[in-house]
Amino acid sequence: MKKTLISGILAASMIACLSGCGGNKSSAANNVDDLNSGSKENESSSTSKKDVTLKVWGAQTDQELLKELCEKFALEHPENNWTFDYGVVGEADAQARYLEDPAAAADVFSYPDDQITTLVQADALYEVTRDVEKIKKENTPGSVDAASYNGILYGYPMTADNGYYLYYDKSVLSQDDVKTLDGILEAANKKGKKVHMDVSNGWYLASFFIGNGCTLTLDESGKQVCDFNSEKGLEAAKAVREFCNNKAFVTGDDSVLQGGIGDNICCGISGPWASESIKEKLGDNFGAAKLPTFTCGGKQVQMGSFLGCKILGVNTQTKYPVEAMELARYLTNEESQARRFEVLGYGPSNNNVASSKEVASDPSLKALAEQSKFAISQHINGDFWTPAEAFGAELEAHSKGDLKKMLDKLVEQVAGK
Amino acid sequence: MIILNCLYIIAEVLLAIFFFRFGLKYISHFGTLGENTQLKVWNEELQIYERKTGDNSMLILLFSVFTIAAIILFIWILCLIVKNIRKMIQLNKKGEHILSFKEVLMDLLDGKFHITLLAAPMITLVLFTLLPIIFMVLIAFTNFDSSHQPPGELFTWTGLTNVTDVFLGNSTKTHTFFGILGWTVLWAILATFTNYILGMLLAILINHKLVKFKKMWRTLFIISIAIPQFVSLLLISRALEPAGAVNAALLKCGIIHSPLPFLTNTTLARICVVVINMWIGIPYTMMTFSGVLMNIPAELYESAEIDGAGVLQSFISITLPYMIFITAPATITTFVGNINNFNVIYLLTAGGPFALDYYQAGKTDLLVTWLYKLTVDQHDYALASTIGIFIFMIVSIASLTVYNHIGSVKKEDMFQ
Repeated sequence: MKKTLISGILAASMIACLSGCGGNKSSAANNVDDLNSGSKENESSSTSKKDVTLKVWGAQTDQELLKELCEKFALEHPENNWTFDYGVVGEADAQARYLEDPAAAADVFSYPDDQITTLVQADALYEVTRDVEKIKKENTPGSVDAASYNGILYGYPMTADNGYYLYYDKSVLSQDDVKTLDGILEAANKKGKKVHMDVSNGWYLASFFIGNGCTLTLDESGKQVCDFNSEKGLEAAKAVREFCNNKAFVTGDDSVLQGGIGDNICCGISGPWASESIKEKLGDNFGAAKLPTFTCGGKQVQMGSFLGCKILGVNTQTKYPVEAMELARYLTNEESQARRFEVLGYGPSNNNVASSKEVASDPSLKALAEQSKFAISQHINGDFWTPAEAFGAELEAHSKGDLKKMLDKLVEQVAGK
Repeated sequence: MIILNCLYIIAEVLLAIFFFRFGLKYISHFGTLGENTQLKVWNEELQIYERKTGDNSMLILLFSVFTIAAIILFIWILCLIVKNIRKMIQLNKKGEHILSFKEVLMDLLDGKFHITLLAAPMITLVLFTLLPIIFMVLIAFTNFDSSHQPPGELFTWTGLTNVTDVFLGNSTKTHTFFGILGWTVLWAILATFTNYILGMLLAILINHKLVKFKKMWRTLFIISIAIPQFVSLLLISRALEPAGAVNAALLKCGIIHSPLPFLTNTTLARICVVVINMWIGIPYTMMTFSGVLMNIPAELYESAEIDGAGVLQSFISITLPYMIFITAPATITTFVGNINNFNVIYLLTAGGPFALDYYQAGKTDLLVTWLYKLTVDQHDYALASTIGIFIFMIVSIASLTVYNHIGSVKKEDMFQ
């Protein structure tokens, strides 16, 4: 009796194993079916009304406007049943959050242009292939360049205000003073005021090097190219050292500038996000201008800068690529950008909006637009920031080290990989 | 017994189903961690590049680990079944009683109660700690970094490249690792012993006969604990900035003429973090030592006094041995905690001042903050994982060795 039971059990387990294998086969068949039905679904999409659920990521401050625009989009596109899923993911976190789990990331998300390299390498972004010529024409060349990688457009330019320029106190500095760095320092020293720049931040530090014609970009294979240790770079570095050793120089992050301007600081370099609080502190003395020129190798050289954009990208893992693209296109069209400027004050990348009266009369955006003539796109990777900060911090600390050696080390780290 | 075996077999079947329906497609790629990246196919009708999903190295690695765990479980249960059946046959031959299913269950509440009790902790430990750790350790042997992010670029096995990179191959990384390791050890020693010694002195001072209002003093020092650590750290780091409160005050008083680079000069920044750590840590050690001091029997001191011992003598011969004996295990914990003291370093200096000769790190970075930066900022998971393994080895070897050589462990029974 017992033996038959045991053999019965063994037989049952054998069958179970076999059925396990069987299950595998049938699941493989299911997969094929899935694929077929998937393509069928795609075919039918163009004909009948279907349910489309899109997940959209935006920063906390943009949520309300995002909802408003998405709902408007749904009204204008009644051919589908739209459901929108909003997630609060700021641009700065977009890349990190995306890479955690691409399949669970938003279908449409905004990212800053400095993340484009990593995102493209991870094949996260759909190329813009529909309406591409139109989009390129509608937006400023700088923003199109920022949203492109190796000449292919990888997203829909949304804003073009991620840059920096000079804020100054009109009661201390005149319009002529702010044309040259030497003029600013002279006037500031005369009145015992400080000039703020966060030199130990690669983003600002680079303006000297870019201004003097150095290269910082990525080549076609994604390798970082940097020639800050060239002759030109050395000249620029000498100018940075001289600036840092000036009595009027003060460093620190934005909070230092926002707190000190009007008191002991007479001017500083920052971006549009600081505009409101600086306006509040300076009142009628508020001034904004493009970056000054600086003395470099005996000549006056215009400081360069980075000009970044926020870009709307479409996730390659999305189930509804065409619909997601339509939404992204809508959220970045002229009307939406005008509304975004109206509500949030973000500088537009759309040519028509940028040249509209409202935008052109904003002193900060005007300064940014002037500076953008000397700006480059931020096509760089994460290896730049830490060494650049180290380099800037050494100069801020009045180090007497050999600049050429320091620059060699910087370039080795930045362009090493 | 038969029902038990049936349950085992059901478990086996479930595991087999898991293996074939889910695990197989991952584990079959385990050797290469995937070969096909996501494909682009031009769709003329929609005018887009459609994507055909490819392999994802990270998911392959993750689910392979789970599948291997399932295989091991499968074999283990198989062994259990065979053992059970053999036992049943033997018992049957001898004509002895075979346990019924109910009796087996009852046994779990009685003779084998330890298994029942430990089952939940063990299962959760394996699922949420052991398996993820194995996954992380395996990453150290791949090239999972910022330029190998799936699904666009897959990563694969690279053997010991990361280890050799840290120790031999890559001069910058080697220099960074040993530089940071040196500072980490120095920091852990300084941070532990400054707190230890000064906390002890403070406790003795407050406990001294001549000091009035003992409770008030103790409370005052403990108030600094009431403020969350990260709040005071962030505030202090703000205050020490070039234009911060401390520099502004010193400038106004005319003591200095230009702001002191508290957090941007290597030596000064290192001194600052150690000193600020005292502010954070001393109240805790003071509390511990106050407790110990109050528990030292007063007779010991009285008899010492009768024997003619002075204050210093009784401190060295009574107080010190007593305190070291009791606090040694806690000190080891503190030491290990300081090796991995993320909060103080990251919130105060964020590892800065950054150094040009370090790879993505600064002069006050500990191994653990460097690891954090490599993971979160650089996505250099493979290197970070390698460093994580080293931290684990250093910490476990150091603490086990020291722990086994201290008095309180050797003479455990002395204090009863």
